[in-house]
Amino acid sequence: MKTLTIIIFSGFFSLSSTLASAGLLEDKNCGSCHRLNAEETEKSFTGPNLHYAGNKFQPKWLSEFLKNPEIIRPGGFINNPGFLKGDSESQPPHPSFPEEEANAMAAELMGLKITKQTSVTTEPLSKGQRAKIKYQFERTFSCISCHQSLNLAGKVRGGISGPSLVNAGNRLQADWVADWLSTPETYTRKGRMPHYKMDPVTLIQFTRFLMMLKKENIK
Amino acid sequence: MILTLWVTGCGQNEQTAPAIKPPTQQEVGKTISQTPQPVLAQVTEKTRQTYQWYCAQCHGMKGKGDGINAKFLTVPPRNHTKAEYLETRTDEQLFEAIKFGGLSVGRAPCMPAWGHTLDEDTIHSLVQYIRELCQCQAL
Repeated sequence: MKTLTIIIFSGFFSLSSTLASAGLLEDKNCGSCHRLNAEETEKSFTGPNLHYAGNKFQPKWLSEFLKNPEIIRPGGFINNPGFLKGDSESQPPHPSFPEEEANAMAAELMGLKITKQTSVTTEPLSKGQRAKIKYQFERTFSCISCHQSLNLAGKVRGGISGPSLVNAGNRLQADWVADWLSTPETYTRKGRMPHYKMDPVTLIQFTRFLMMLKKENIK
Repeated sequence: MILTLWVTGCGQNEQTAPAIKPPTQQEVGKTISQTPQPVLAQVTEKTRQTYQWYCAQCHGMKGKGDGINAKFLTVPPRNHTKAEYLETRTDEQLFEAIKFGGLSVGRAPCMPAWGHTLDEDTIHSLVQYIRELCQCQAL
């Protein structure tokens, strides 16, 4: 009985917390740039889809980003008119929010999910595996042409039309990375990235490789 | 019986078989249809949009090899308006480079494979669009 009471109370507080932050994304007008609802028709939003933010992001990173936004897409967002012209500066900077609001918004965003994903291990690759996947990242799948990454010396290199992967290991969830690589159409109707048909082993190793990319490894 | 079958199964007796003349060139011309010419894919508005959506990231909006990724790549993206190189490539080679990636045709690995993203008709039309951009054909 005591256990049941604790469960009910913890559920109540959890629900209260959700209710307290519910609608903050709407209040802040996030929906004018981002798709927040899976039922919403996909149109040319000027910011990335967030209706699966709870699948994609790590909550700690999300709170930090909302407090101190960093540039994830050096070339700007793909739907912006200046995107192909390299005119990313015409894009307004992402607003920043005070800590309490940022945390509440992050919590609300983490509640936006669209699928149940399979669980992928984030165990780091061995040195040899890492070298192999880095080779594939750059040469077999050509990811480096559009995404910034870290080379083995810890230096940033790569194209800018896609989101930077320099801090992917702190920003993204491994399950989402694997899902995105195998079925990107689940998340967006039409991106600018090629589709790949990776075999399951490569897919997992690729995910683990990306999860090892962290900005604290920049040298 | 077996002997009979063997004899008839291996051909007719040379003495009784009529002589067969090879057909003349005129006769061949009458009976065999001309080798069908490959139908060139059409460049449509959809082709141009596809190029702008995917290819222009590296090759640039006008195909000059100056897309937003260009200066970050180890090997510069191909300038599709330059005929000097592109006329040395066949349409098949361009098709394969798009479908299977640069590495598959011995070129730069920066060029990804688009074969799981674009269907073959679209890739054929992109090849023709590149021909339009370079104002050239394979030599």
